[in-house]
Amino acid sequence: MGKKRKHSETEQAAPLKKDDSAPERPKRTLLGWKEKAQDAEEPKPAAPEFRNKEKVLVTCSRRISFRYRHLMLNIVSLLPHCKKDSKVEAKSSKGATLNELVELKGSSSCLFFECRKHKDLYLWMVKSPSGPSVKFLVNAVHTMEELKLTGNHLKGSRPLLTFSSNFDKDVHWKLLKEMLTQVFGIPKEHRKSKPYHDHVFAFSIVDDHIWFRNYQISVPHNEAEKVARGGLDKMTLVEVGPRFCLNPIKIFGGSFGGPTLYENPFYVSPNQIRALEKRNKAGKFAKKIKAKTRKKMHELSNPLEPDEFADMWKDDE
Amino acid sequence: MSFEDDDFVEDDEMNMIDEDEAASDSEAESLSDSDEEITEKLAEPTKTAVYNRDGLLDKLQDISWPEDIDWTHKLTVEIEQGQQAAVDVNDDLAREMAFYTQALVGTRQAFEKLQEMGLPFLRPGDYYAEMVKSDTHMEKVKSKLLYEKRQMEEAEERRKARDNKKMAKEVQSQKMKERAKQKKDEIESVKKWRKQRQQSGFSEKGAGELDLEFGNGKSFQRGGGGGKKRPGVSPGDRSGGKGKTASRMNNKKREFRDSKFGHGGRKGLSKQNTAETTNDFKGGFRGGKAGGNKRQKR
Repeated sequence: MGKKRKHSETEQAAPLKKDDSAPERPKRTLLGWKEKAQDAEEPKPAAPEFRNKEKVLVTCSRRISFRYRHLMLNIVSLLPHCKKDSKVEAKSSKGATLNELVELKGSSSCLFFECRKHKDLYLWMVKSPSGPSVKFLVNAVHTMEELKLTGNHLKGSRPLLTFSSNFDKDVHWKLLKEMLTQVFGIPKEHRKSKPYHDHVFAFSIVDDHIWFRNYQISVPHNEAEKVARGGLDKMTLVEVGPRFCLNPIKIFGGSFGGPTLYENPFYVSPNQIRALEKRNKAGKFAKKIKAKTRKKMHELSNPLEPDEFADMWKDDE
Repeated sequence: MSFEDDDFVEDDEMNMIDEDEAASDSEAESLSDSDEEITEKLAEPTKTAVYNRDGLLDKLQDISWPEDIDWTHKLTVEIEQGQQAAVDVNDDLAREMAFYTQALVGTRQAFEKLQEMGLPFLRPGDYYAEMVKSDTHMEKVKSKLLYEKRQMEEAEERRKARDNKKMAKEVQSQKMKERAKQKKDEIESVKKWRKQRQQSGFSEKGAGELDLEFGNGKSFQRGGGGGKKRPGVSPGDRSGGKGKTASRMNNKKREFRDSKFGHGGRKGLSKQNTAETTNDFKGGFRGGKAGGNKRQKR
């Protein structure tokens, strides 16, 4: 296993083991990653035995536009426990193919970026094999390449996840919170993870949308060695990116399909919005014609009195 | 099978929702309501929204990790919203501030927990590893920031210069006015004095004393009272005044060189005699006249 392990100060130099028959030492083992997905879903017998074996498959549909592709690449770089796969054709019944793909790669969840009409981005977040799946509409996308987002952090360091408290207000939010934790939280001793926590994800619910922000924790240099109470006060957050806003559309019971468990009552599809706008614009011409006919009718019904001065200048020439 | 049961449960759930959210309008109206906020939200929820709470809870049980695992696996922090609940989505600054404070509070809490557990928190200064944005990208970011800073500074400077100029102009105009006024006043006072003397018949008495302030007697000089101390310039002199000795010397040299090379220089004939130079032996330029024989092109 020629693996480039850079800066593995806190990780063992022991070779990767494919099965977990090796005895565990807390916080010091490497995990095997070629295991079947269903282990992630069985509740572990006791706390020290729990190992997060989350593995995320990230794919997109064909004809995805540049901004969304960069967003996908950003997410791939943020999650070291993910695996990027090639594009999936749009027309095939995506449920079956994607399920197969997920099984093939042995992942336990999937993030599928679907771009429709080159304009709208839908994100499917799916737990495999029988887990729930959520379809989101993504807007307000800002990628990490934007120069206004100036922060930077270690690639693969485990983030702190902060959720606003409205995630506990309702069942579907709780489910989403759990799924977000599992997908976006890097497993603890993942071989590509770095030991320090220098960035934080912020998930908040505003206006029934989930807003995602990624901040770098920065502390002035001389304090970094010993971050005592004093250092905490000088801690600032710099935004790293990417930024996006998720609008949940539906939650399904199965992966990429299944019975609908939740439907967002406030969701209007972007197609409908565009159709509405067009209809409004189309209405302008019809209104104009109506106004004209109305004017004619009005004139007919109220004829003007003959103007006594109308012929005043006619005879002058 | 459990799903079929859930289907029957759905109607009850939906009714509950309807009561909760008071959806009484038809969907057409709700669509027209969304005209104003043509973004992604209906004003009234649609009636056919499915909300299968039990199913959701089941799935949640299925996928969630066991309860008693270490917090370090999850690393989640929940932040109380509190008064932030009234954050307006469209107000960018307030919204971003809310997210920022949420993240900041969360980090503090997490840090305290980690400190209790004695785990390392922040990256030490000497730990170099691959970052999520490349170095070249960070260079671009830095140059952009510097550029913006420079723009701001330049704008500031320009504004200050403009203001200073305005101020200077005002001050100058004030001074000019003052001087003019003073001059007028003094002339008036002299006239008055003359009149006074006339009236009192040019007597030799001390009634002819000017009661005015003349300063040190310098106010009648040209160029303001004691301003410029260049001696010896009479009013009719048009020579343009004397400079200092050094510049005079340079001026002469300058004039000579200008006459020789300036504006395309002189035409030939520089080595031919004129009437004056016929009888000059041993060269002509002795520091007296500056290239005096031919002043053709200047």
